[in-house]
Amino acid sequence: MGVLKIDKKEIDVNNSRKQDIESSFYYALSHEIRRKIIKLIGDNEYTSFTNLKKELKVSTGTIYHHLDTLSELIEKQANKKYYLTELGIYAYNSLKDNIETMTSTDSEFKSPILKKLTHITLKRFIVFDKKDKKYSILLSISIIIAGTILCGLNEFYAFLFFFMDFNHRELETIIEFLIRISFILNFIILFFIIEGITRIFYKKKESSMNFFISFAIILFPLIFYLSIHLIFKFTNLVGISIFNFIDKIFMVFFQVWSLWLLSYSLSVNKGLKIERSLIISLLLHYGGFTIILFFLV
Amino acid sequence: MELKKFLNFSLIGVIGSILLILSEFFSWFSEHNLIELYVITTDVAIEDSFLFLFPLISGIICLVASCLVIYKFKLKIKSVIISFVGLGFLIIFFIDYISQEINFLLNAGVGVYLGIAGFLLNLISLINLLITIER
Repeated sequence: MGVLKIDKKEIDVNNSRKQDIESSFYYALSHEIRRKIIKLIGDNEYTSFTNLKKELKVSTGTIYHHLDTLSELIEKQANKKYYLTELGIYAYNSLKDNIETMTSTDSEFKSPILKKLTHITLKRFIVFDKKDKKYSILLSISIIIAGTILCGLNEFYAFLFFFMDFNHRELETIIEFLIRISFILNFIILFFIIEGITRIFYKKKESSMNFFISFAIILFPLIFYLSIHLIFKFTNLVGISIFNFIDKIFMVFFQVWSLWLLSYSLSVNKGLKIERSLIISLLLHYGGFTIILFFLV
Repeated sequence: MELKKFLNFSLIGVIGSILLILSEFFSWFSEHNLIELYVITTDVAIEDSFLFLFPLISGIICLVASCLVIYKFKLKIKSVIISFVGLGFLIIFFIDYISQEINFLLNAGVGVYLGIAGFLLNLISLINLLITIER
């Protein structure tokens, strides 16, 4: 019983210590001057009181007050310079990470062309609230159905962001059926690959359901391509050199639009930096290409 | 300083793009280079004649994208997206053309090697660019 009592006491002490550290961490980051102090030390590895005074442009008393508050995050060493503690380094990294994510996402999404692209694709269905959830689901289902029908009419099968011709006369019934529903299968495979990559490499497990619901919207531009190709096919324009060229330009354009939407969706739904999202898109697209080439060879 | 830091990565992209443009003027699977093939196929009205211009188009687009990063590093994401377009053309060319000439793959000319080298250099440049930003 005695041992149990001591253990309980130790656990209580540990818990309250953890809470103290957590409180001081968030309290320290809650003030602009304290954030500046952490960034100043983090950027330069260490700093002196004189340098802090020069950079912050506030009174000596104010600096001492904030340095006291930051006692868990910084330490004054024998050379009278201030260094970050382990917790301070963690705070510095998290501050830097958040600022990079916010600024890069903001500035990139301000681009007029990218803004127009995301407007056409109805951004509100990628990042939807409760009210729009049912519309997002409806839109996603419509895109999948339309994609499947258009793929069938074009006699295409979908593979990642590519479409290939298929000759249904030489195929067995079951394979032909699988090819007919390749747009749906491709959608599911794509989702699991991307979800897997974000979970394994970036440890992002959040918003999986929302990401799944809005995932078909990523394929929305490809519906445009399939429609244009169908028009070319029914008007017998596919056989003409210039229309073949235009068809391929459309294919590239809509693929890139889809890749951009994928990057955007990963950024907003999974909280990934836009650069990381683009790496995933890049690997997926060119990885897909390598697989196609491998099968061809 | 910013320019110096990222110049090397961007140079990989520039070299890759130049290789892609050069590949247009070398033979791939036949005696003729791609420009000659384009002229021949246009004359006989073959439906895919424009396909032979794709490495050139791709090289020019990738070159513009690489120069964009050298000019202003803040345009990095736009540069990546433009490169996506450029490499998209090359991918379509690879898939369409290599699948036609698959039997002659062992007798590939200089153009094929230049094209593949250019493609890989552009890809490495893109990944390097995106990874560098992350640090």
